[in-house]
Amino acid sequence: MLFWILIAVLTGVAALSILVPLSRSDRARTAGTVSADEAVYREQLSAIESEFERGLIDAEAAEAARTETGRRLLAAHDRRAGQADGASRGGRIRTAQVLALLGLPVAAVGLYLVLGAPGQPDLPLAQRLNAPAEQQSLEVLVARVERHLEQNPQDGQGWSVIAPVYLSLGRAQASAKAYANALRLLGPRQDWLTDMGEALTIANQGLVTADARSAFEKAAALDASAVKPRFFLAIALGQEGKTAEAIAAWETLLENADETAAWVGAARQQLAGLRGNQPAGAPQRGPTQEEVAASQDMAAEDRQAMIKDMVAGLAGRLGAEGGSAAEWTQLIRAYMVLGEREKAETALAEAEVAYEGKPEDLSLIKDAASQLGL
Amino acid sequence: MTRKQRRLTLIGSAGAVLAVALALILFALNDQIVFFQSPTDITEKAVPTGQRIRLGGLVEEGSVVRSDNAEVSFRVTDMANVVSVTYKGILPDLFREGQGVVTEGIIRPDGVFVADSVLAKHDENYIPKEVAEALKDQGHWQGEESAAN
Amino acid sequence: MIVELGHFTLVLAFVLTLVQSTVPLWGALSRDDRLMAVAPPVSVMTFLLVLVAFLVLTVAYISSDFSVLNVIENSHSAKPLIYKISGVWGNHEGSMLLWVLILVFFAALVGLFGGNLPTDLRAVTLAVQGWVSAGFILFLLATSNPFTRVTNPPLEGADLNPILQDIGLAIHPPLLYIGYVGFSITFSFAIAALILGRLDAAWARWVRPWTLLAWCFLTLGIAMGSYWAYYELGWGGWWFWDPVENASFMPWLAGTALLHSAIVMEKREALKVWTVLLAIFTFSLSLLGTFLVRSGVLTSVHAFATDPARGVFILGLLCFFIGGSLSLFAWRASMLKQGGLFAPISREGGLVLNNLFLTAACAAVFVGTLYPLVLDAVAGEKISVGAPFFNLTFGPLMVPLLIAVPFGPVLSWKRGDLLAATQRLYAALALALAMVLFTFWLWGMEKILAPLGVGLAVWVMAGAVAEIVTRVKFLSVGPKRGFDRLVGLPRSAWGTAVAHFGLGVTVLGIVTASAFQEERIETMRPGDTVNLSGYEVTFDGAAPRRGPNYTEEVGHFTIRTGGVVISELDPSKRVYTARQMPTTEAGIYTTGFSQLYLSMGESRGDGAVDVRIYFKPLITLIWIGCVVMAFGGALSMADRRLRIGAPKPAARRKAAVAAAAE
Repeated sequence: MLFWILIAVLTGVAALSILVPLSRSDRARTAGTVSADEAVYREQLSAIESEFERGLIDAEAAEAARTETGRRLLAAHDRRAGQADGASRGGRIRTAQVLALLGLPVAAVGLYLVLGAPGQPDLPLAQRLNAPAEQQSLEVLVARVERHLEQNPQDGQGWSVIAPVYLSLGRAQASAKAYANALRLLGPRQDWLTDMGEALTIANQGLVTADARSAFEKAAALDASAVKPRFFLAIALGQEGKTAEAIAAWETLLENADETAAWVGAARQQLAGLRGNQPAGAPQRGPTQEEVAASQDMAAEDRQAMIKDMVAGLAGRLGAEGGSAAEWTQLIRAYMVLGEREKAETALAEAEVAYEGKPEDLSLIKDAASQLGL
Repeated sequence: MTRKQRRLTLIGSAGAVLAVALALILFALNDQIVFFQSPTDITEKAVPTGQRIRLGGLVEEGSVVRSDNAEVSFRVTDMANVVSVTYKGILPDLFREGQGVVTEGIIRPDGVFVADSVLAKHDENYIPKEVAEALKDQGHWQGEESAAN
Repeated sequence: MIVELGHFTLVLAFVLTLVQSTVPLWGALSRDDRLMAVAPPVSVMTFLLVLVAFLVLTVAYISSDFSVLNVIENSHSAKPLIYKISGVWGNHEGSMLLWVLILVFFAALVGLFGGNLPTDLRAVTLAVQGWVSAGFILFLLATSNPFTRVTNPPLEGADLNPILQDIGLAIHPPLLYIGYVGFSITFSFAIAALILGRLDAAWARWVRPWTLLAWCFLTLGIAMGSYWAYYELGWGGWWFWDPVENASFMPWLAGTALLHSAIVMEKREALKVWTVLLAIFTFSLSLLGTFLVRSGVLTSVHAFATDPARGVFILGLLCFFIGGSLSLFAWRASMLKQGGLFAPISREGGLVLNNLFLTAACAAVFVGTLYPLVLDAVAGEKISVGAPFFNLTFGPLMVPLLIAVPFGPVLSWKRGDLLAATQRLYAALALALAMVLFTFWLWGMEKILAPLGVGLAVWVMAGAVAEIVTRVKFLSVGPKRGFDRLVGLPRSAWGTAVAHFGLGVTVLGIVTASAFQEERIETMRPGDTVNLSGYEVTFDGAAPRRGPNYTEEVGHFTIRTGGVVISELDPSKRVYTARQMPTTEAGIYTTGFSQLYLSMGESRGDGAVDVRIYFKPLITLIWIGCVVMAFGGALSMADRRLRIGAPKPAARRKAAVAAAAE
């Protein structure tokens, strides 16, 4: 509202700059008009006199100049006398007034509505960064921490705080780097190593790369009872085509497992996949290794497009034929990685419908979703 | 002097000055302009040694060799042909391997281009216009989009 | 909200310029005083509105409001405050907004201080200025809107091009634009005169202060730009004949010619047609410069906008204004009356000579700048026209002009006596010859041209002094009276002398810095010493340093003469983090008017760096001379006679008369 009031005031003031001179009386104007050219020539005459007195021109030249300037002075005088008085006619004035009162506001506001973005607020950076935390988007909060870390790159705790946030924002690569920084500064920790490996795996569309693998191995070495690193190591074995070793790894893992744990279902599925008819390492029908390897060479946009294609294919298939809990989890995760939170929520809702009768699988999906921040 | 004579003097002197200016411009245009050549032009057309030319292209990857006394040598390529260049001086800030460059100088009888100036524009995506067109001629230009990436 | 208000004020200003360009003109043609009276307040209002828009954009830059596209593209939150402000005009959109701001500023000045002008001349002049303003605001709104918003603002901008992050950029464009765009007002005066059919001595006198104002700023702007390129680009050169430099230099040459021909028109009512044509040309060259810089037809250090749509738009404006004004000129010029007569040897003759050489030189620069473009378009052949071309054409044309400069002011109007004039300049001539011999003695005979150049510069400087001395007749009236006469001289006479003196100073700087410069390029390791022009430059080593938005490798050098430390220099190689762009910061030691210039190349890893060292004798005179020239112009502008209508204070008038009568 204030905005439109200010616009009205501005337009009004602008219109006044046209209206005020139009409404002044003619007499007030003409009284002030001295013939300007005559003034110039009078000045010139006096300049000739002073130059002559100073001896810069001789008498003959001064006389000639005087005559010439005098002639111009007379001409200017005649010209002024010959001019008609500058009387104003009502019609013209009225046209100009209408122009100021109607044309100006209509043209200005109309053009502005075409070009401008009325109502869009200012967003000074300081205001965005200093707003109370609960009003801020996650991006701004992240930017604040980033700014802090730029100034204090040795703050390991800071890196460890931002790392999981990056992951939930779908910036897996940045998350892995943040974990790496935290680990470098504060020494190895099992959970950070594991999460770093997970971030690297997500960054590579589910492929456990050599870097990720070594992180999981270190984590497993630090804490032999930790399940998560070994879970991923088992997946890695499957992906590498070492089916027998992978089966062995899954079996060891499931032996001591608490049957209610969320991951058990996924692990069984992997195991079944490895033992059963499906080819090893592809229980979720993800991209083949060749495809993933190819994606490494692609330009960032192409890779993004490929991922989107795959995700769309998965979503279509799950919607039409249904699928395993792990596949639903994969879809939800993929959406979060792509930054499409709404679609992830829709997928979660769909999964809830599909698994209504199977609370075990449903809880698996829900756990995964809550881990992703849904 | 009569009015007519004065006029003629004025017009005459104006004509003289303009004639001198024109002569200077034409002479200088004949003598002082520098043609732009790509490595292919130089290889194929046999540009006479000693004539000043501008050579433009990409700095070949891995070709920059610095020696003492601020001397540097590199090769300029348009993906079809290559010309060796030597230069003594400080390279511009944006001189990089694999990037566009324009050098000015003469060709020595042994075919090496001796540059006395090396230009690279102050823009991170810069490929000099001449270089871009020369590369297009050689079919090694993927258009504006790829340059912007 | 503030950003949107700024956008709205710009739109409103556009609509107002449409009013400004029609209503007063209508009033002038129908002799309606009230309609004509609309022009001044509307022009002031337009200026205020554009000023608000400009300030709003500045606020957006200062507060790093990344919802504005222009701010995203050219700013960064870590940038120092001064470069956030100067960054406003360090890009295409912002600099065009500054362009428009100055355009409407000049209109407002005429609106506010043009009270002594005839009503119709002022109204039509403002209307013409309104056309130009409307054209350029439309250009802004249509193709380069600085207020374009984005809906998802990022948290960081792309930063300003690092070479533009310099105090020079804060000053150079505004000065240059005031000069460049200032000539729009003389253009508007010329068009108004053609429309009204009134072109007389009075017109020339009204136009002269505006021309002087624009000229002073253009002189300072070019000098500032040259100094900026000198220390920021790290090449040690101060003028490259770069097309964009030429684009500002051509209006300067034409404007200088205009300044002189306006004198003839004012005093003698001669050269009317020519003066009007020059006024049109000068602004046309400014427009051409803008087109060359903005359209991307040039590859240049300065060309920041390369968008074909913009180029086409400006080309359209260019055709409209230049074509239109020249057609109007062709149509109306024939009715201009023949002016006063003069002999070839006279003050007028001298000024005509000045105009001839300046326009010929301007034409040479024009050909050199545009020939490669035309040849490329017509024959597809790529050439470059560099310094050798300009040295060979521009140089020879300047020599006779410089020889003639001291003669002009000492010749009398209408019919002059060359012999008497030469007699007045004997002392200056003797001094110049002495300097030639002295320079030969100092530097030997290897460089024939340089001593002659020095002599020429001294001739111009001494000639300016001689003019003042002979005018007050120190020798015949004695120092006491002479001093009184000195004070009584009109300021425009002082202005002429000072400006001519400044020209001589600049020429001296150019000649010595080019001819006697010494240069060394060396690979230096820590501890190495290079001897140059009596200075021992020792490299002590390099170390990294962190700036607000860059990191740099700073070299430390110690300068000694005869073993005594006289200065320490820290040139550096910077990398600006946001764009990962490297720049070179030169180290400069100024001694007297000369400079020692040090620039560092890339470090070689083992602690050695390539170093380029120059000694440039008297180089600062180049820019000092320009400042002196601009000061001369300002003096001339302060001349009371140019401010018609202002009553002369009675007391001072009496004193002046008394002094003159003595």
